[in-house]
Amino acid sequence: MIALPRPSRRQKQGLLALTFVLLMAFPLVGGSQADIDIIANACAYAALALGLNIVVGFAGLLDLGYAAFFAIGAYSYGVLNSFQLQPHWSPFWQPFASLGLVAKLGIGAAATVHFTVSFWLMLPVSAAIAALFGVAFGAPTLRLKGDYLAIVTLGFGEIVPIVARNWPALTNGAAGLNGIGPPKLFGWSFGVDATPYYYVGIALVAFLLLVAWRLKASRIGRAWMAIREDAVAAQAMGIHTSRLKLIAFATGAAFAGVTGAFYIAKLQTATPDMFDLPVSIMVLVMIVLGGLGSVWGAIFGAVALEILQAWLLPALNGTTQALGQAVGSGFLRTLDLTSASELIFGIILVVMMLYRRDGLVPAARSGVTLAFEQQDAPISHGGSNMPILGLSHHLTPLAVAAPLAVAVPAVPAILSVRDLSVGFGGIRALKSLSLDVPEGGIVAVIGPNGSGKSTLFNAITGLVTPQSGRVDFAGRALIGRRPDQILALGVARTFQNIRLFPHLSVIENVLIGQHAHLRAGPFGILCNTPRTRAEERRAREFAAEILAIFGNRLVPRLEQNVSDLSYANRRRVEIARALAARPRLLLLDEPTAGMNPAESHELAGQIAAFRTLGLTILIIEHKLDVVTLLSDRVIVLDQGERLAEGTAAAVRADPAVIAAYIGRRPADV
Amino acid sequence: MSPTHILLQQIVNGLSLGAIYALLALGFTLVYGILELINFAHFSVFVVGAMAGLLVLQAFGLQGQSVILHGAPLVLVLLAALVAAMLACGLLGVLIERYTLRPLRAVTGPMAMITTIGVSYILVNLVLLLTRAQSLNYPDPLPAMTATFGGVTVSGKAVMIWIVAAILMIALDRFVRRTRLGQAMRAVAQDQEAARMMGVDVDRVILVTFFVASALAGAAGMIFGLYYNFADYNIGYTAGLMAFTAAVLGGIGNIPGAMLGGVIIGLIDTLGSQYIAAKWADVIVFSILIGTLVFRPAGLLGALAPNRS
Repeated sequence: MIALPRPSRRQKQGLLALTFVLLMAFPLVGGSQADIDIIANACAYAALALGLNIVVGFAGLLDLGYAAFFAIGAYSYGVLNSFQLQPHWSPFWQPFASLGLVAKLGIGAAATVHFTVSFWLMLPVSAAIAALFGVAFGAPTLRLKGDYLAIVTLGFGEIVPIVARNWPALTNGAAGLNGIGPPKLFGWSFGVDATPYYYVGIALVAFLLLVAWRLKASRIGRAWMAIREDAVAAQAMGIHTSRLKLIAFATGAAFAGVTGAFYIAKLQTATPDMFDLPVSIMVLVMIVLGGLGSVWGAIFGAVALEILQAWLLPALNGTTQALGQAVGSGFLRTLDLTSASELIFGIILVVMMLYRRDGLVPAARSGVTLAFEQQDAPISHGGSNMPILGLSHHLTPLAVAAPLAVAVPAVPAILSVRDLSVGFGGIRALKSLSLDVPEGGIVAVIGPNGSGKSTLFNAITGLVTPQSGRVDFAGRALIGRRPDQILALGVARTFQNIRLFPHLSVIENVLIGQHAHLRAGPFGILCNTPRTRAEERRAREFAAEILAIFGNRLVPRLEQNVSDLSYANRRRVEIARALAARPRLLLLDEPTAGMNPAESHELAGQIAAFRTLGLTILIIEHKLDVVTLLSDRVIVLDQGERLAEGTAAAVRADPAVIAAYIGRRPADV
Repeated sequence: MSPTHILLQQIVNGLSLGAIYALLALGFTLVYGILELINFAHFSVFVVGAMAGLLVLQAFGLQGQSVILHGAPLVLVLLAALVAAMLACGLLGVLIERYTLRPLRAVTGPMAMITTIGVSYILVNLVLLLTRAQSLNYPDPLPAMTATFGGVTVSGKAVMIWIVAAILMIALDRFVRRTRLGQAMRAVAQDQEAARMMGVDVDRVILVTFFVASALAGAAGMIFGLYYNFADYNIGYTAGLMAFTAAVLGGIGNIPGAMLGGVIIGLIDTLGSQYIAAKWADVIVFSILIGTLVFRPAGLLGALAPNRS
């Protein structure tokens, strides 16, 4: 790996440890109760921001009803540790009482139940309840387009406080829940002293920070960011997008839920207006200020907004009013700056979006620039002479054993397309198309623009649904499967117009290609188990190995954002990403487009080398010299139909092909 | 009153509310049709419209509930206020588009939507600061004319709202269908790139769209003030959500759909308040919003917004 010009891990850890010690010491060295309380509130905000950052920042789902989950978590704790619900006592409650979840109030027939579920138990339970609501609400709505999701969540965020207002039996209505029990630790009650909440708040933020951090660096976090960058490409690279969106939504909801329990325990009261839209927007402002997708940014934003509201505005308010007094301006004297906080929020949103979309503490890596020697290094070609160890040992022994058995009719077709018809409105892009691709072969599809080549690829990979016909791959029907399922069966592709994940690095793009083969689950990721670490290390090694196919073109650029790469290098990364999925069939859509002749031939050589690994390749290509060089067989499409098929030379001589490319005389039509 | 009378009376009330929602919904639908953007700034443009209309009415000496003008002068003053509110809002919409949204047009993701939320917050809170968060008394300059049809009372104000809303909607329909600019708008909505290549000045079309959408919101804001006799910084929020629901219900991007949706939501709002409970009316409407999006995202009349991949 190359050295990165970033603060060393040790420096970062030192800084973190120092901050931690300062925070721990603050109440001990005489921080005032008011300031301690403010920091405890900032912790609640930071926890909320960390959660919303997962939904909006990582997964790119604009959630404007986030406070609803905050409310659900808060009311869960509030109802289960207060006098709000008082059912009649019956023996049914006895086992709960012995567990300490409820207490008996009064005696005899008048006895009622007092819910006393422990705060510590309710932290995870509130998170789980909120996550459950997140799943229930997200399952039907997350398949909506992004902007619709914003408005649906806005509606949900309205409904929850209204329900809280109008359901007094459960929530005590607009007056709010009162007498919520404070947390107890070994029999000692936290009471109203701010200090214990301060420590719990810091612990909560530290825990959620760790969770967010580990998730971000995991296969799940990468999948979220892939969805945010390009949902179609993410699905084509094996990511079950609706499930991962749901996980993001539920995780964010869980963060809000646990924070709700904490916040309400601290206040010991909960009213519906604590969870209205402005709260959701305020949390959004925090993560926009810090930087969408930036974990530290979320914390920065939360702290900045709390400082603004709790310290800065009141201080400024006093100053302007005093100034108004001094200069005799009635307007300044009565101006209430503290009510201007929302105006400032609005300004922050607009200014950040216009001038600094990455936020003040951006998530993006500091741009890794190459040294001159690296930029000037002679191109090493890699390709055929490179041992691609990772790939070959995942392929079937049969295929590796017979690498050059190509275009022999006896080889069974690994891909067979039968009578495939695809239409868009009135246009029929493919008309009853049939073709076979033999295992281990390289088949080229050529044809004029609009002849249905890319539609064929989209139909094979599940991105469009055909009207009729079959597509079978290795004996399995592909039609009706989702793109991610098709990838998992062993079909990977590239796109004509390059659909990489532009704000992710080269290595991250290639790691996302391996998504379907990585197994780490939420538990393994959160605990960072040795198995997860080993899997992640192997995945990185494999990704680096694949990128080495292209010699030194990509290896020095592993940590660069792909949006910073040259066009040709982006094509290479996309091919590497597809190879990382360990396909048996690789679909390449104009891989050499935008490359000069030398680069095209270099890539053609590398593609030819894939065959020695047992890959079957279907390639769309316009450059006929590349087609001739590579393919065993050429299929010519025109207006959605197969016009000709044969060797490159035979196809080139076919009069029908020439007519399709150069045009027909009117008499022929 | 008999149950039938109550029902008919609520339908009359719902139609007035529906006319306001429809005018506002048209703005959402126009902008969405062109930019596929949910314009949250629209909420606050409505508030600005109400305030601008109020300022003009007050400038003509119309205050409180006193009826001081009659006949042609009254109509002229009301028209002047309406035109002023529409112009002010149209201009505001143009400024919003030009300076906060155009720079983000090429940026993908929720960035533009977040910007409109920010703009909305800025405008609403400016109004809040300038009005000191007070609810302002909107003049009620119309003489109290009511007509009773079989026990159902129709006020002069309601009739005025229907007439104004109908005129504006017919004008919009004519504009979009019959004029060159309207044609260009429809072309840009279908395919921005193709329209540009055919010589349509896309930037100008988008500006015009924002002007028209915001002017309609301004008219809706002033009508709201006249109908309910109050205006404050907060009126845009609920009205905006109702109108957005109306646009979605009718099929966002679809102009007749927004009108139909507005009337339906207006009726649901009043009838729901009458027969279920006012406190649940919002929940009913939002449930309709969510239900429509989940089960019939194209809305009742189908979306005009094309599928872009």
